[in-house]
Amino acid sequence: MASIAGLTLKTPRILAKTSDSPKTKAINNFSFPWKKRFNTQFPRLVAAAAPEGLSEKVAESIKTAEEACAEDPVSGECAAAWDEVEELSAAASHAKDKKKESDPLENYCKENPETDECRTYDN
Amino acid sequence: MAVSTVYTVQSLNSTCSISKPTKTHLGFNQKQLVFFKKTTTTTTRRPTTVITCSAGDTVVIGLAADSGCGKSTFMRRLTSVFGGAAEPPKGGNPDSNTLISDTTTVICLDDYHSLDRTGRKEKGVTALDPRANNFDLMYEQVKAIKSGVPVEKPIYNHVTGLIDPPELIKPPKIFVIEGLHPMYDARVRELLDFSIYLDISNEVKFAWKIQRDMAERGHSLESIKASIEARKPDFDAYIDPQKQYADAVIEVLPTQLIPDDNEGKVLRVRLIMKEGVKYFNPVYLFDEGSTISWIPCGRKLTCSYPGIKFSYGPETYFGHEVSVLEMDGQFDRLDELIYVESHLSNLSSKFYGEVTQQMLKHADFPGSNNGTGFFQTIVGLKIRDLFEQIVASKTGAPLEATKA
Repeated sequence: MASIAGLTLKTPRILAKTSDSPKTKAINNFSFPWKKRFNTQFPRLVAAAAPEGLSEKVAESIKTAEEACAEDPVSGECAAAWDEVEELSAAASHAKDKKKESDPLENYCKENPETDECRTYDN
Repeated sequence: MAVSTVYTVQSLNSTCSISKPTKTHLGFNQKQLVFFKKTTTTTTRRPTTVITCSAGDTVVIGLAADSGCGKSTFMRRLTSVFGGAAEPPKGGNPDSNTLISDTTTVICLDDYHSLDRTGRKEKGVTALDPRANNFDLMYEQVKAIKSGVPVEKPIYNHVTGLIDPPELIKPPKIFVIEGLHPMYDARVRELLDFSIYLDISNEVKFAWKIQRDMAERGHSLESIKASIEARKPDFDAYIDPQKQYADAVIEVLPTQLIPDDNEGKVLRVRLIMKEGVKYFNPVYLFDEGSTISWIPCGRKLTCSYPGIKFSYGPETYFGHEVSVLEMDGQFDRLDELIYVESHLSNLSSKFYGEVTQQMLKHADFPGSNNGTGFFQTIVGLKIRDLFEQIVASKTGAPLEATKA
């Protein structure tokens, strides 16, 4: 039971990051839990989109920050805007790393090392 | 045969945390009945549940770093020293910043933000500002975990910028709090058994951020520079002063071996270790307390350009006596690593070559060929040593522990 649960639980981890594409930004705040549950039912559709949403967010936040700082370079708003850029860039790079690491066979074998596909022999 | 293991603790403050192995040792999954009670002895009828009760013997480690939380290389190395891989909690919020392994739980202090991203934008404060963080909640929850009580900790979702519903954190043997302000609040500082500050110099920070962000659409050299500059005042005012409180500081600077190097690939790393910290014996080279400068490359060991240079000596850091071990350059081969390791003393390794073995285990991590990975691994071993000493002192004096 836990092994199957482990499989289905793994995919939502990649998915939930897609719940904030620009088109649904406004909806996101109100129906956030709904959006998450919706995503978990359709794993294969959205797995690749994760960094795209984040990349666009990063690009937008940079534009916002540049605008905010054009008005007043030493204000709190300017600092907060660039801080947001930094946070989103960090999240984007983590998402990229995570994407690189998610090999479905490796994930399955982490949960089920004794199955035939995953047995390792040292000699 | 099925075996049940029960540890019981009689003290008033003890609570039992239950760890459920996902599979029984017989190889199939059984439904597990779990009893969770405070202050009384507990037995299980099912042989598959392990109940461990910690009577407040959680060791709390603080790590101050600017790199975002929980997924950092330092944490992965640290948890690997204790054994087991640290992973996000299964079945919980997928955007959780927490990492859990068998012995260690790492939480991200961003979870104690009192203002979410929109809130901070409205008020015009950065995440570095103490006004954006709830230190009272941080103190209460760290205190609770330290005394063995599970807590419901909020989650700060870095992707959406919102504060998500809380997750349950059970007291582990080693509890690591990682983030921007572990040592900012004096009450939280008192709870820390050991604290580390990761001090990246501005040039290296700039070089790393360029590597990280240049591939990102929308970023340019100017935007990266502007981002660092805009955060600098808050960083210098709130984050940087924490390094005077740290028991160990890992300082990362540009190399001195290559003149005018601005790529940030070769690094000079200094491990600044405070003297007089309980259960912590600084690492030294050749002779404790003397000043040594050492280039291991020569007849016995051939290194490629730019080579490796070590130095060790006593210094003062913000008014404290410290010992500084410094490494400049990078490792190219396994035998360089083992050669260097064999000449260092007080590493707290359990067998010859343990540091090298840990470095090899994670050869794909960044910093695996220079002082950052090397000193992070050594700090990991030191923390393990500290943990074992604390546990030994607690079991040696159980009456004092239950009275406290």
